[in-house]
Amino acid sequence: MIKFENVGVVYPGGVKALENINLEINEGDFVIIVGLSGAGKSTLLRSINNLVKPTSGNVVVDGNQVTNASKKELKKIRSDIGMIFQTFNLVNRSSVLKNVLTGRLSQVSTIRSITGLWPKEDKQIAFDALERVEILEKAYVRGSNLSGGQQQRVGIARALAQKPKVMLADEPVASLDPVTSRVVMSYLKKINQDLGITTIVNLHFLDLAKEFGTRLIGLREGNLVYDGSVDDVSDADFENIYGRSIKSSDLIGEDD
Amino acid sequence: MINLPKKPPPSLMVFLGIPAVFLFSYYCFSKVGFNLSDFRENLQNRYIVTDPLFNPKWSWAIENASEAIIETIQIAILASIVGCFIALPLSFYASQTTNQNKISFFLYKSFLNVVRTIPDLFWAMMFTVAVGLGPFAGVLALVMFSLAIMGKLLSETIDSIDPGPLEAAKSSGASHNQSVFTSALPQVLPNFTAYFLYIFELCIRASVILGLVGAGGVGRIIETQRIFLRFDRISPIIVLILVVVILIEQFSVWLRRRIL
Amino acid sequence: MNLPKQPVQQKVLKYAITSLIVVGSIWSASGLEITLEKILKAPEQIAILVGAMFPLDLSQEAIERILPKVAESLFIAWAGTVIGAIFSFPIAFLAANNVAVNYVSEATKQILNGIRAFPELILAFVFLPITGLGALTGTLAIGIHSIGTLGKLSSEVIEGIDEGPLEAIKSSGGSKINELLFGVVPQVMPTITSYWLYRFEINLRASAVLGVVGAGGVGAELINQLRFRDFPRAGTVLVATVVLVLTVDTISAAIRRRIIKGRSIKIDQ
Repeated sequence: MIKFENVGVVYPGGVKALENINLEINEGDFVIIVGLSGAGKSTLLRSINNLVKPTSGNVVVDGNQVTNASKKELKKIRSDIGMIFQTFNLVNRSSVLKNVLTGRLSQVSTIRSITGLWPKEDKQIAFDALERVEILEKAYVRGSNLSGGQQQRVGIARALAQKPKVMLADEPVASLDPVTSRVVMSYLKKINQDLGITTIVNLHFLDLAKEFGTRLIGLREGNLVYDGSVDDVSDADFENIYGRSIKSSDLIGEDD
Repeated sequence: MINLPKKPPPSLMVFLGIPAVFLFSYYCFSKVGFNLSDFRENLQNRYIVTDPLFNPKWSWAIENASEAIIETIQIAILASIVGCFIALPLSFYASQTTNQNKISFFLYKSFLNVVRTIPDLFWAMMFTVAVGLGPFAGVLALVMFSLAIMGKLLSETIDSIDPGPLEAAKSSGASHNQSVFTSALPQVLPNFTAYFLYIFELCIRASVILGLVGAGGVGRIIETQRIFLRFDRISPIIVLILVVVILIEQFSVWLRRRIL
Repeated sequence: MNLPKQPVQQKVLKYAITSLIVVGSIWSASGLEITLEKILKAPEQIAILVGAMFPLDLSQEAIERILPKVAESLFIAWAGTVIGAIFSFPIAFLAANNVAVNYVSEATKQILNGIRAFPELILAFVFLPITGLGALTGTLAIGIHSIGTLGKLSSEVIEGIDEGPLEAIKSSGGSKINELLFGVVPQVMPTITSYWLYRFEINLRASAVLGVVGAGGVGAELINQLRFRDFPRAGTVLVATVVLVLTVDTISAAIRRRIIKGRSIKIDQ
């Protein structure tokens, strides 16, 4: 489904964010990427939909060349990839429904999106997505009036509304408490299992990774240092990925 | 003995700047002819103005100036609405947050800057030559005026919005315009409204003057009366205008509170 | 599924505002007799005017006439701003309700509002018969109007300060004057100074305009050239004004940024 072919990313200024990444992710996988801050997790994720363009190598998604795609091709590719963010990135002043509808933008003409005359089918898709994350009743509530966990669920609904083939989650629970984090992660897991959407999640909480992941990828200083099943991973493997022993801040823990 | 830190020397700018300011000010005052004794002499003449000024002819004013005052208000309403709405898309092009194309950004921002430098009355003068005397020229002039101010204020606001939602929209495959419309515009709408009301008030004041150069409004009446030193007619007109301005100001404060 | 209903209030407000804007525009446009025909003809007419201004009149004679006037606008604006700054500063303290007694500050605020209400041009009108044609009238008009606006803005800055440092001074035995000098002034100076500079930028435009009524500055030049249909020379006046204002704007903006940001001091270890 997703193939990294010798991907490297060097930021202006010389920082090597990713080096020589060769990776294949299969359709329906639920992949969790761990690593220290700055290890390249975010860059790796963003090179899948070309928000960050690799300086060397190629990314292929569902048979389509992403890295050197034209603007038009890129839009089509991106419409099949949903993304959720650590800071939720909702439009605060807009309602939940309006936020989720932005997931349908790529399928709707500019005029309709500006005047607010969304086609009925698109509105229904939005409602379905909201129901899947069990937040349908808040459809007309302003984004900023929701809690963090609720906002992230709206973010998931927005991505779902795209009817994507791939779901990218960049530290989706970093700003949430342990209970809410588990709720959000379980939604992601359920969507992956029920709808078969290939899901890739960046996490820096190791226990959460072990709890929800099936496949684990470890990045260290831009290099791929671990790729295997979550069941096989040991504390020693984690220490190798982090380059140091595990601290309590690496675990989300339980709510006391 | 403790090691005292060295006191930082006064910055060069302050050291040279402050005396320069004083010198320049002195120069300016002498150049504009500021001469205390002359000034005192001139003040003796103040009765030419103050006598009629405090003797307002209300009936004349109401009879002859009401229509013109309404014209003044209409110019302000039309110009601020048209100017601000044109400025809305321009502002997004004049901010690097929503316009990544460096050349296009530079062009739009420079355009706004240049339009800002030309005073409203200059615009009015030019438009009266281009499209003829009358309120149309006045409206066009204040459109440029509103455009410039809204453009600057709004583009600076757009500079400091949260780019996150924009990134989210782009990553879902939405076009640039769709992303800006759904994810950037809502963030600045309250600011746009506040700026619009502010610019509307500015337009009312500016529109009073336009008549001076024949661009419509009550200004032409004021000008004609001024030439004949009929301050007894001018003062009631000014008071009427002030009343209108205050009423509009109160209305906009009320409106601001309801919407925001 | 149970679809939630959209709250009615949001929609009503939106429609109310839209109709207000549409109705307001149509009423105004028809009252002013602005027809579609006029609007469509306008771009062409503007293009004709702009075309007539180029090439600009850059002859010796033109420059000798225009440059001193442009400079005069600069002087008027500066002198007017200085008057405004000097007088508005103490008045602002009187108008601030956390420095002056309530009825004093209220009264001062109303007086300032009164002064502010008159555009510089109207003030120039009033002064013309007294101080005659020329730069002095313009300076007075701008100066007095600036006292009004700067007074109000400065008083708002004073009202918005952090009272903490004042309390500290008072508790250590400082007098009210000490409070003002060491507590209020250092807090408000950066913002107030940047307001002075911003006012200078605006006054520069105002002084250019005042020339139209003979109160000095480049406005008289422009209106004369336009009346005599000497468009190239009018164009020169415009360009000269634009250049002057842009330069002043840029320098002033840079200084204002620097004032607000403050200076970074290198500490030698």
